[in-house]
Amino acid sequence: MAKLLKIRELKIDIPKEAKALAEQMLSDLEKSKRPVLEAVKTSLDNSFYEPKIGYLTPGDKVVRTELNVSSVQKLARVVFILEIMLRNLDIGAVNTKRELYYICKGLIKGEKNLKPLDFEDQVESDAIIDFIGDMLRVYREELNCFANDRGGQTYSQNLIVTETLLDGSKAVIDLSTLGTAPFQPKNKPQSLKLKIKKKLDFCLVIESEGTANTLQSMGFTKRNNCILIGAGGVPSNGVRGWCKLIQEQIDIPIYFFGDLDAYTMQNIFRTLKAGSASSLIRNADFSAPSVRFLGVLPDDVKKYDLPYYNVKESDPSEQRSLKKAKDAIENDPFFQDKKNKGLTDILRWLLKEKIRCEQQSLFSVDPKDPIKMEKIILEKIKRGSYV
Amino acid sequence: MSKITKSSTAEYFAKNLQQVGFSSPLKAVLTTLKEAVDNSLDACEQNGILPELSVEIKKVGNGSSRNTDLIQIVVEDNGPGIEPDDLAKVFGEYLASSKFGRGQCSRGQQGIGISAATTWAQLTNAKGAFVTTKTKKMRKAIHGQVDVDIKSNVGVLRNKETIDWNKDHGVKVSFKIDGRIQLNGDGGLITYLEGTVLVNPHLTLHYKLMDADWVHVERVTDTVPSVPEATLPHPHTFKLGEFITHATLFGKISLRKFLKTGFSRVSEQAISQFIEKGLPKNLLEKPITTLGDADFKKAFQAVQDSPLMAPSTKSVLTVGEESLSKSIQRLGEIDFFSVATRRPSICDFKPVVVEVALARFMNRGEGDTPVQLLRFANRVPLQFDKSGCAITRAIESVNWKTYGLQQPKNSLPLGPYVFAVSVVSPFIKFKNASKETIDASDELVDEIRRALIQAGQRLSRHIKKEFKEADLERKLQHIEQFGPILVEALVRITKSNDSRKKRAEEGLKKLLGRDSKDAEEELKIAESRLAEQKAKHAHIFGEEAAESEGSSEDEGEVNESPKKSKANAPKKKANKK
Ligand SMILES: Nc1ncnc2c1ncn2[C@@H]1O[C@H](COP(=O)(O)OP(=O)(O)OP(=O)(O)O)[C@@H](O)[C@H]1O
Ligand SMILES: [Mg+2]
Repeated sequence: MAKLLKIRELKIDIPKEAKALAEQMLSDLEKSKRPVLEAVKTSLDNSFYEPKIGYLTPGDKVVRTELNVSSVQKLARVVFILEIMLRNLDIGAVNTKRELYYICKGLIKGEKNLKPLDFEDQVESDAIIDFIGDMLRVYREELNCFANDRGGQTYSQNLIVTETLLDGSKAVIDLSTLGTAPFQPKNKPQSLKLKIKKKLDFCLVIESEGTANTLQSMGFTKRNNCILIGAGGVPSNGVRGWCKLIQEQIDIPIYFFGDLDAYTMQNIFRTLKAGSASSLIRNADFSAPSVRFLGVLPDDVKKYDLPYYNVKESDPSEQRSLKKAKDAIENDPFFQDKKNKGLTDILRWLLKEKIRCEQQSLFSVDPKDPIKMEKIILEKIKRGSYV
Repeated sequence: MSKITKSSTAEYFAKNLQQVGFSSPLKAVLTTLKEAVDNSLDACEQNGILPELSVEIKKVGNGSSRNTDLIQIVVEDNGPGIEPDDLAKVFGEYLASSKFGRGQCSRGQQGIGISAATTWAQLTNAKGAFVTTKTKKMRKAIHGQVDVDIKSNVGVLRNKETIDWNKDHGVKVSFKIDGRIQLNGDGGLITYLEGTVLVNPHLTLHYKLMDADWVHVERVTDTVPSVPEATLPHPHTFKLGEFITHATLFGKISLRKFLKTGFSRVSEQAISQFIEKGLPKNLLEKPITTLGDADFKKAFQAVQDSPLMAPSTKSVLTVGEESLSKSIQRLGEIDFFSVATRRPSICDFKPVVVEVALARFMNRGEGDTPVQLLRFANRVPLQFDKSGCAITRAIESVNWKTYGLQQPKNSLPLGPYVFAVSVVSPFIKFKNASKETIDASDELVDEIRRALIQAGQRLSRHIKKEFKEADLERKLQHIEQFGPILVEALVRITKSNDSRKKRAEEGLKKLLGRDSKDAEEELKIAESRLAEQKAKHAHIFGEEAAESEGSSEDEGEVNESPKKSKANAPKKKANKK
C-alpha cells in the first residue's frame, strides 16, 4: 500500500523515534535503571499565548512516568499500543480510536498472558493513545489514528477542492455543483488543495449547521461571493484544520457567528481561533487565528432587540460554564492577553448580566423576511461590527 | 395523670394500644416479645441472678383479623418468680410496677408493658396471658390464665392450678396473638434478639423462631450488672408544665420539702439562692397542694435562674468495653471490631453514658449497602423510626471516609459492618410515646459523636492494615503480570536477542522488588501499630495479644480485636435442644 500523505513537514521520523525510545527503555532496564517516559503536559497551566503566533502553545512542563510497581501497567500498555501503531505506519493502515480499542481486545484475547492488559472501556485505551501522541509530540493522525469527521459542512459557488487520495490519484470537487448539499471536509485537511474561481469576499462560519443550511437554501452563496460553513458545535479536528486551510490557502477574512454565551465563547470560538489546552501540540495546524467573532455581540442584543433569556441558577451545566468563564478570565492566557480584550469583555459582560442569546434569535427581528439574518450579517460585516 | 381513675386507664390503653407498640401485626409480635424479655432481664438483674432465657415463637393458626396469623410467643426465665398473689396485678393491671417512679436505668419504667401485651392477646384471641411462676419459697409452681378486666383495670386470674416444675424459680409466660412474623431487617425478631444479646453479655439465650432449629447463645461474663440506685431528676431538665405535674406526685408537702426531696442537687444553700433570685420566702412553707399556677411559675423561674451543681453521674451503668468486645463476637464471625465506652457525662443536665461497638463481619451485610445500625436506649433495642434519632444523627455527622469507610454524603457509611450505639441514662428523652427515637439534642448528639470518633479511629487501624495488605498483594501481582509483557514488547520493537531480554527481565525484577519491599515495610508499620493497640488492651484479647508488647497509646478508652480473633466467647451454634 502506498504511503499516506504527510500531514505536515515533520522533523522526526516516527518509527525511528519510537524505536529509539524503546531501545532506551530496554537498556535502562538492563542496567536496573528506572526508565522514564515524558509527555507534554497538556493543560491550561502549561499553555502559552502569543498574539503574533495566534494559538496556544505548550510550555516546558512535562508529565513524567517513571517505572515503578504502580506505573508498570501503564508502561506496558503504552509499549503495547505503540507496537500496534508502528505496525499500522509500516503497512499504511489507518484506524479510529474505537477500532484501535477493538484491535487491542483482539490481540489480548488471543494470548493468555496479555489478559491483565485488557481495557475495561475505550476511555482507558484513548488515554494511552493520547499519551503516545503527547510523548512523541506528533499528531494522532500522524500515527494513522483518525477521528470521525464531524461538522464543517461547507457551501460555495466559487471554491474547488482537490483531494489527493491514498493511492495518489486525485478527486476534484467543484462546490457549486453540489446544490444545497454540503461539502464535508475530512480531518486530513492537508491532503486537500483549494482553488477559487474568482476572488472571494469572506468566509462565514455559523455555529449551527442547521442555520448554515437555511442560509444556503435561501441563496446565501448565490448572492454573496463567499464560503459558508456550519461548525456543528465544538469544532472537530476536521473543522479546525479546514478553517486553518482556508486561512492559509485563500486570503480572506473569516467570521464566526454563534450563540452569545460563555460556552460558545470558550469552547467553540476559542478552540476554533487558538486551539485548546488539551491539543497543545496540534494547535499549530488545527486553529485559524484570523477568525473574528461576528456575533451575537452584546451590542446586537440591544440594537436588534433580540429575545434572550436568563441563565437559570438551577441549571448545573449553565452554572458550570459561567464558573468556567470566571476561571478563563483569571487563568486562560488567551483571554488574559490584551489583544483579545474585546473577547474577554464579552465574557465579563456575560458573567455580569447572566443572560444568553442564541444565534437564531435574529429570526425574530423581522419574522416575515426569510433572509433578514443574511441582511443583518452583511450589514454587520460592512459596519465592522465584530471583535 | 394522677386523677385518672384505674378503670379509665385500662380502657384508655385498650383503645390506644398502637401508642405503646401495637400499631401493626408485625410490631405486635415484636412488642410482646420485647416486653416479656425486658421484664425477665430486669427481674434477674434486680435480684442478682444471671439470666438464662428461652424464647419460642411460632405460627399456630390463622389470626382473627384479616392478613394476620395466630402467633404464639413463649418466654421463660430463671428470675425470682412472681408471688402468686401478684400474678393478676402484674399481667392484668396497668400502672402496676415495682420500677415505678423514675430515676433508674431499668428497661421497664412505667408498668404498662406486659399488661398491654395481655390486652392485645385478649382483644385478638379472647384469652390473655398464660403464666407459670415459681419463687424460691414455693415447692410447686402456679399456672393460670390472666385476663385484663378492661372496665375496672384489674387483672383476673383464671383456671389457677398447682403444677410440678423442675426449676427453682422463674416465670414462663405465653401469649397467643394476631400478628405477623418478620425475622430480619430493622424491625425483625432476630434483630431484636441479637441486639439484646449484644448489650447483655451476662445473658444466656435459647431461641427457636418458626421452623428453624434452636439457637443457643452462651453468656460471656458471669457478673450481673448492678443497676445503680435511683436518682432524682435535676430541676434544670424540667419545663414549667412538667414541674407542676411532678409536684402532684408528692401530695401535701411544703414547697421547700418538694424542692429538696423531689429533685437532685437542691440544698439549703440552693434554696437561699432561689430566694435571691426572686422566690417569695412565704411560698416555701406553703403546702404545694395549695399553690396556684402563678406561684409555681415564680418558684420555677427562680430555680431556673439559679446556678446549680450538675447532677451526679453515679446513676448510669455501662456494659463495659471488655464485655462488649466479647459479646459482639456472639453475633457472627468477625474480621475486626472496635469498642468505646465513654465516661459518664452530663448532657442537658442529665447523666448519660454512651457506648459504641463497631464490627466488620465476615458473612453479614454487603459492600455497598448501609451498615447495620443497632440502637439502644437503656439496653433496649430501638427498631423503628431511626431517621430522626440522636444516634443516627451522630453517625451521619461523622466523616467515616477518614477511617477508610465509604460514605455517601450525610448518610450512614456503607459496608458489611454492624454499628451498635448504646445510650444509658435514667432520664432518656424520647421523641414520641412509642419510645423508638431518642431526642436529638445538640449536647447528646455531640457526646455520641465523640464516642463514635474514638471507636472509628481505632477501627481505622484495622482497615489501614488491610489496605496495606491488599496494596502489597496488588503490587506483587502487578510485577508478575506486567513485567514480562513490557520486556517482551520492547524486545520485539527493538528486535533484540535473548540475552538482552534476560538481562532486562532481571533488571526489572530488581527495580520492582525494591518497590514491593517498600510496600512490605509500610505493611509492617501498620501491623505493629495494630499490635501496640492490641497489647495495650490485652485484657480483652487474652494471651494472643499480650505476647506482642507495645508502647502505650494516644487516647485511652478504646479497644479492639485482632483479625479473626480467637473469640474467647463461645460461638453461636445451632442444634436441636
Ligand atoms: N418475669 C418477671 N419476673 C419477675 N417480676 C416480673 C416479671 N415480669 C414483670 N414483673 C413485675 O411486674 C411489674 C410490671 O411489669 P410491666 O412490664 O407491666 O411494667 P414495667 O416493666 O415496670 O414497666 P414498662 O411498662 O416500662 O414495661 C414489673 O415492675 C415487675 O416488678
Ligand atoms: Mg416491662
